[in-house]
Amino acid sequence: MTDVPVQRIRNFCIIAHIDHGKSTLADRLLQETGTVAERDMQAQFLDNMELERERGITIKLQAARMEFRAADGENYILNLIDTPGHVDFSYEVSRSLQACEGALLVVDASQGVEAQTLANVYLALENDLEIIPVLNKIDLPGADPARIKEEIEAIIGLDTSKAIDCSAKTGLGVPDILQAVVDRVPAPADLVSEPLRALIFDSYYDPYRGVIVYFRVISGVIARKDKVLLMASGKTVELDEVGVMAPDQRQVDSLHAGEVGYMAASIKAVADARVGDTITLAANPAAEPLPGYAEAKPMVFCGLFPTDADQYPDLREALDKLQLSDAALKYEPETSSAMGFGFRCGFLGLLHMEIVQERLEREYDLDLIVTAPSVIYQVNMMDGSILMVDNPATLPDPQKRESIEEPYVKLEIYTPNSYNGALMELCQERRGEYIDMKYITTDRVTLHYEMPLAEVVTDFFDVMKSRTKGYASMEYSLIGYRKNELVRLDVLINAEKADPLTTIVHRDKAYNVGKGLVEKLKELIPRQQFKIPIQASIGSRIIASESISAIRKDVLAKCYGGDISRKKKLLKKQAKGKKRMKAMGRVDVPQEAFMAVLKLNQ
Amino acid sequence: MDIPTIGESRGPRSAYVHIPFCHRRCFYCDFAVVPLGDRADGASSGSIQAYLKLLLGEIAASPAGPPLSTVYLGGGTPSLLTPDQIRAVLGALKQRYGIAAGAEITLEMDPASFDRPRLDGVLAVGVNRVSLGGQSFDDGVLERLGRRHRRRDLLEAASWLQQARQHDGLRSWSLDLIQGLPQQNLTHWRGQLEQALALSPPHLSIYDLIVEPGTVFARRQQQGLLELPEPDLGADLMDLTWERLRAAGYGHYEISNYARPGHASRHNRVYWSGAGWWGFGMGATSAPYGLRLARPRTRAAYAGWLTEPMEQHTATATKQPAAEPAGSGMALDELLIVGLRRREGVAMAELARRHGLRNTDLEDLLAQLSDAGCRGLLSIEGGRWRLSDPAGLALSNAVLRVMVGWWEQRAPRAPSIGAAPAPPAGAHRSAVD
Repeated sequence: MTDVPVQRIRNFCIIAHIDHGKSTLADRLLQETGTVAERDMQAQFLDNMELERERGITIKLQAARMEFRAADGENYILNLIDTPGHVDFSYEVSRSLQACEGALLVVDASQGVEAQTLANVYLALENDLEIIPVLNKIDLPGADPARIKEEIEAIIGLDTSKAIDCSAKTGLGVPDILQAVVDRVPAPADLVSEPLRALIFDSYYDPYRGVIVYFRVISGVIARKDKVLLMASGKTVELDEVGVMAPDQRQVDSLHAGEVGYMAASIKAVADARVGDTITLAANPAAEPLPGYAEAKPMVFCGLFPTDADQYPDLREALDKLQLSDAALKYEPETSSAMGFGFRCGFLGLLHMEIVQERLEREYDLDLIVTAPSVIYQVNMMDGSILMVDNPATLPDPQKRESIEEPYVKLEIYTPNSYNGALMELCQERRGEYIDMKYITTDRVTLHYEMPLAEVVTDFFDVMKSRTKGYASMEYSLIGYRKNELVRLDVLINAEKADPLTTIVHRDKAYNVGKGLVEKLKELIPRQQFKIPIQASIGSRIIASESISAIRKDVLAKCYGGDISRKKKLLKKQAKGKKRMKAMGRVDVPQEAFMAVLKLNQ
Repeated sequence: MDIPTIGESRGPRSAYVHIPFCHRRCFYCDFAVVPLGDRADGASSGSIQAYLKLLLGEIAASPAGPPLSTVYLGGGTPSLLTPDQIRAVLGALKQRYGIAAGAEITLEMDPASFDRPRLDGVLAVGVNRVSLGGQSFDDGVLERLGRRHRRRDLLEAASWLQQARQHDGLRSWSLDLIQGLPQQNLTHWRGQLEQALALSPPHLSIYDLIVEPGTVFARRQQQGLLELPEPDLGADLMDLTWERLRAAGYGHYEISNYARPGHASRHNRVYWSGAGWWGFGMGATSAPYGLRLARPRTRAAYAGWLTEPMEQHTATATKQPAAEPAGSGMALDELLIVGLRRREGVAMAELARRHGLRNTDLEDLLAQLSDAGCRGLLSIEGGRWRLSDPAGLALSNAVLRVMVGWWEQRAPRAPSIGAAPAPPAGAHRSAVD
């Protein structure tokens, strides 16, 4: 057992908007406490997935245990639990908040509070966390801490008299933050003598040791060789390892209430140890699991097809492997006459979808065609049955269906009020229903809309950002299904129906979407040796059409002795480029074309 | 003669000699060249003299072979060489291989790099064909191409060539033009063609501008400063060339080459037939028995390369993939890449047989061509495959992409060409580049 008394443990997380400096601050805390030596410091230590670092955002949670000698001369254990910063992963955020007693609210001293931050702050308040406001980037010329403090007080109602000014970049204010964590974050409840209950807040798949589970012990003691029960999944496993993240994994004999650590128990898939599950002792189980467990539900669906049909088994294998480490990923085989064999996949949101796609291409070396994202529609059939449709191409014909319902979200946009007009126009275009607008400060407002999820999962976020020069931020949550006048819009390329380009749209928008779609496809599909008609139709009625004229010249003028090798190389490269396209009938269609419906507004 | 079986000819009968020196590097040029400044000349340049020493050494040390029937001195600007220097190069070739009676001996010459006496001099030492790098009749265009000569220089050079044709043993000459230049339109190009035809060259090479990486043009293109004709205009320019030159009595015997009867370049036809050739000099590629070997593209590296034992170059050749064993000649896809450039196309049935292919293999290729919408670009008669002229030739890459892909699927099990005997042991430097 580690011999830290519960009173000298502090568990906290950092709540921050993307770019407001969370990772840099986390790095600085590790350095200041000597947890990571200067020379071992990689920029942004906590975001250790390659993809995360490239995107500058945190996708997966990580945690770190630090030792800090406080002003009272005592050594404290500070556990920093990182949280993902994207709306797709809000469930994970809620679980990691539940593992903490306090949170640092990091706000950029020049930019102020953003909607995402706000949502997480409310979550933290609901979880009764002690919140310490930190104003970061105080060294930048645009910093205006007084104004931002006022804003925090006005929006969140937090007392900012003890807010800490800091620059994660220079290290200014970092020791004050550590001391404030000790002084202001409550120690965990001392429940060491109660039956074991530990909350899983993250897990990942390690090919050698099985799933590595990160948890917070709420009550009791967990020790190596213990047989534990995962209360939601019902699995019983024997622990091979128990340890702490310092920040590298270090084995210990046991962990007690209040501590944060990891375990390895030859668990085969993360689905068996999901975030939110409760670990208890098999021999002496707790009466009740910890509250709040929920299974992640996919909201966005798309088709994944290998460009080369021979890669289908590889794609299946890759998805199987990815699912070992990503319990939220859902998939089932899909066959399409246009695309051949592939998978219909469900994701938490658009970012999750992009991440999975990129990992498949990068880590598994697959060439994929990804179809435009769709939501899941509820189709009320004439015969009274209900059909859930996650693939527009499989929407039953109009005469068989009574009505279609689509998922709606409550959408909150947080913005400087100068963009009100632009944003209301955008929401209108996207079939949003205005609910209300609240002034939070004299110049910032929250716009509140109800909107079809289908309109949000296209390019809504990007357009919102571009129309507000990046100042607005948003947050949404599902509120249920509503009936709408929806139609299936098909696309025909060279007179053949292109299933993966089928979309479901509102009747009023069908004409414009159809027209925009064929124009965009004309732009995106390369010219070929013959003329290619492109049409959009509802049922058998063609509502828009364009055609791509035949290419007339594709030749290399010179080819003498030394040019032959170059010419062959060039042709091979071009032939390979064609392989990255999907042949639909006789037409080679590039990946971008399958996303055309998302780009109609560009 | 169609695609001669390599080996049957007992060695190559053509030689390419690279003379890399230029006054300056043109903006579109990515050849292995050495700019020496506007006043440079073979008579006074130490660089040229030093290079010729290396070159003559390479020729003398090369493996033996039958007498040459074509020699091509390319560059660079080989017309910077004095007649004596050209005599030395030809003499080295004559000594090593012999030069067959009636051989075609071509020299590339740039307007403003030679005068009438220099022309007479090179004809006197054996040159009997000249390829004139005219490129354009428009001074503004020449300026924008980075060329040193102007329209007046081109007309003057052409008039000397016309005179030499009549009196001094110049058998043929060719004019090079570039089409698809920045800001070019149909009217401008029509004017260029008319001025070219007014000079009555027996042979015309008309190349599309290709923006090669690392050139001034590539940089300008990146900066958005190079406005090239739209693809459809490019096709219109090509059509215009084809129609106008055909009407003037020129045969379109290869994608970029037109000739009056009897004036097609014999040397260049060697490249497109798949037969072997020697190559000498920095940056030159040789393929005496079908496998290509590219020499280093700088003088220093070339000099170093010459000091390496010949086995080292031969050793590279033994690292061939099994599909292209040393001495078996060019791979089928390469034979198609070059062979289909010609009006007469390739004897596909014969080639397929030599490569051990079955009828079903060719049927498969035809099906793939149909799927790609390319079948209509080919005409097939009596086992001979040709690209239609001009539509098929203008889209040759689309056809070749399918063929290259098809061959790649088959290559692992493609046997070597049984008919081709091994080259003389140790007799060549050969490797792919």
